[in-house]
Amino acid sequence: MIGWLDANLVSILNGVAIGALLFILAIGLSIVFGMMDVLNLAHGAFYLAGAYLAYEFIGVESSWWGWLAALVAASLLGMLAGGALSGLTEPLARRPHLDQALLTLGVALVVAQILSITFGDDVLRIAAPPGLDGAVQVFGNTYPAYRLALIVVGLLIALAVYAVVERTTVGALIRATVADRQMVAAMGIDNRRVKLAVLGAGSALAAVAGVLGGPIYGAGPGLDERILILALVVVVIGGLGSIRGAFVGALVIGQVESLGRALLPDLASFVLFGALALVLVARPSGLFGSRVGR
Amino acid sequence: MRGDPSPQLSRRRLLGLLGAGGVTLVGSSACGGGSLGGGSGQTAGGTEGGGTVKIGLVIPQAGTYTPLGVDMQRGWELWLANHGSKLGGYDVETVLADEGEGPDTGVPAIQGVLQNQGVDLVVGIVNSATALGAADSFAEAKKVLMIANAGAAAITGESGNPYVWRSSFVNAQVVVPMAQYLAAQKIGPVYVMSADYAAGQEVVAGFTTAFEAAGGTIAGQALTPFQTTQDFQPFLSGIQAAKAAATFVFYSGGEAVSFVQQYADFGLKDSIPLYGSGFLTEGSVLQAQGDTALGIRTSLHYSTEIDNPANVSFVQLYQDAHGELPTCFSMQVWDAANVLDRALSTATDLSGDAVSQALGDVGTIDDSPRGSWSFNGQTPEQTFYLREVTQGEGELINSVVEDLGTFAQP
Repeated sequence: MIGWLDANLVSILNGVAIGALLFILAIGLSIVFGMMDVLNLAHGAFYLAGAYLAYEFIGVESSWWGWLAALVAASLLGMLAGGALSGLTEPLARRPHLDQALLTLGVALVVAQILSITFGDDVLRIAAPPGLDGAVQVFGNTYPAYRLALIVVGLLIALAVYAVVERTTVGALIRATVADRQMVAAMGIDNRRVKLAVLGAGSALAAVAGVLGGPIYGAGPGLDERILILALVVVVIGGLGSIRGAFVGALVIGQVESLGRALLPDLASFVLFGALALVLVARPSGLFGSRVGR
Repeated sequence: MRGDPSPQLSRRRLLGLLGAGGVTLVGSSACGGGSLGGGSGQTAGGTEGGGTVKIGLVIPQAGTYTPLGVDMQRGWELWLANHGSKLGGYDVETVLADEGEGPDTGVPAIQGVLQNQGVDLVVGIVNSATALGAADSFAEAKKVLMIANAGAAAITGESGNPYVWRSSFVNAQVVVPMAQYLAAQKIGPVYVMSADYAAGQEVVAGFTTAFEAAGGTIAGQALTPFQTTQDFQPFLSGIQAAKAAATFVFYSGGEAVSFVQQYADFGLKDSIPLYGSGFLTEGSVLQAQGDTALGIRTSLHYSTEIDNPANVSFVQLYQDAHGELPTCFSMQVWDAANVLDRALSTATDLSGDAVSQALGDVGTIDDSPRGSWSFNGQTPEQTFYLREVTQGEGELINSVVEDLGTFAQP
């Protein structure tokens, strides 16, 4: 057991780092899904836009000012994009959910194409901030310092989101909208504004995840789709509209992607969807899905 | 005799084609509807008297392989621009079509130019599955396909036919020289890694066989899920656990960038030297990898740093036109044009049989940027180079360390 742990500690640690990134990415998707019953398929495109912003502001010669600028720009742009998307879905509010999902898919394709035209089709690299671009020794293994920092940032964002959603009036409104939006509307609250706020904040987090994920995943065409699939799996495993669900789901998928692939390299292509299938069979509404909505 | 199809009908067919396959036309007389019927003997086009050869250039213009398509198109246009837009005395009319990513888009694109555009021969093709899927239609149409990238062994092996030629490489051919070199260096146990798809499997099998035959030992191997692996950490741990003395990998495109970067991030670059198939550090991926690629050694049939007059002038022409260094992909299309120029100047006519026979008789190509090479089994027998990534003037380059010898399709 000790030997096994020793050999796989790095993979477990790496799973936590990937999980932290996935949480930042998936939390917005999860709450929007829980609120609107609509899958925001443009979420991956917002991530990619964030990654390209990181390339634009940070690039290979990285500086802390560049990082700050990229994070601020990604938050603002993400918020604007989310707000615009909220406005776009408004005329479709009374139409079937599929129409709204198709709209977000269209937005995703347009955004991805614009990014491809603007930045070209080459894969771009983004450097970690100075001081975090080296490697540190962890349990006798070399591990990139940036990924350790990412764990801390992910935990801080998780705590902040948790505090807002579970401990504030705005958070209570969001939870209530997830649980029963007709009832919220009947109480005289315009839930279009709740949707606007949540889509804005969720998309901002997606774009921020794009910046933070830059030194790991880079930026390039097709990344938006691969990231969207990971986020979807996290949301489905965790349960819709639940912060705890997204957090646990992200950590589970982080381990599956990291430790799972290290232990079962021959099954690497299947472990992700194998885990998804297992959860769907055992708990169709996700690990924390029964608590809310549905 | 039945007359030509009316221009209206042809235009509609053309529009249908554009809509279905995203096929685009450049420089072809799209409104000359009568030519779309596809009579191979009477070539269409401006000049009367059969002085024009119509060539389909099928390359990726969308999807993952777009950067390769750009390089290939540049190679083609550069050759024509420097040779009076003629191949073997014929005026060249190029019909450009989008190969896309896989055979689902590539095969229809090829059939489009072959059947609807009535081209005399086709050049291009990045994806091996596309090449394999289209090979039979060239045997049926009796027209020549000159593959300028796709590296599957079967294309000029068991699935080949007399009309399918290749100006590029064979997947395993690229890594056998490196396997023999590493074994001769007595480097110790080598860990082999690649993306898990047809080309990757051919490379891993080719390397392993040649390395073991030359007395080397394999420390372990891993095939990573193709295009869904963004984080290589789980596999990098495997390399350390296997106590490998060196790592040999085959990745290209985006995966080459993330692999090389993460290999450095996890500190493996300093402890376990990285070797690879040349595509690991070829073209735009090298600039994206940046400093993390310094010192990586690869084998390939080309480098911009090869010291021969043909290469010096090719690199100069390319830099003047595009402001950046050429890649092996541009060179492969340049050479495709070069061999077709030789073949068409001796072929009795433009039929597939005549061109094929002429290609068989071109002998040694002594003015290629890659050094002299010749066809052996319809695919190049050529020199391979051991290359090392170094800092050039302003950008990273693959400098030539040594000449690994001449190899045919294994």
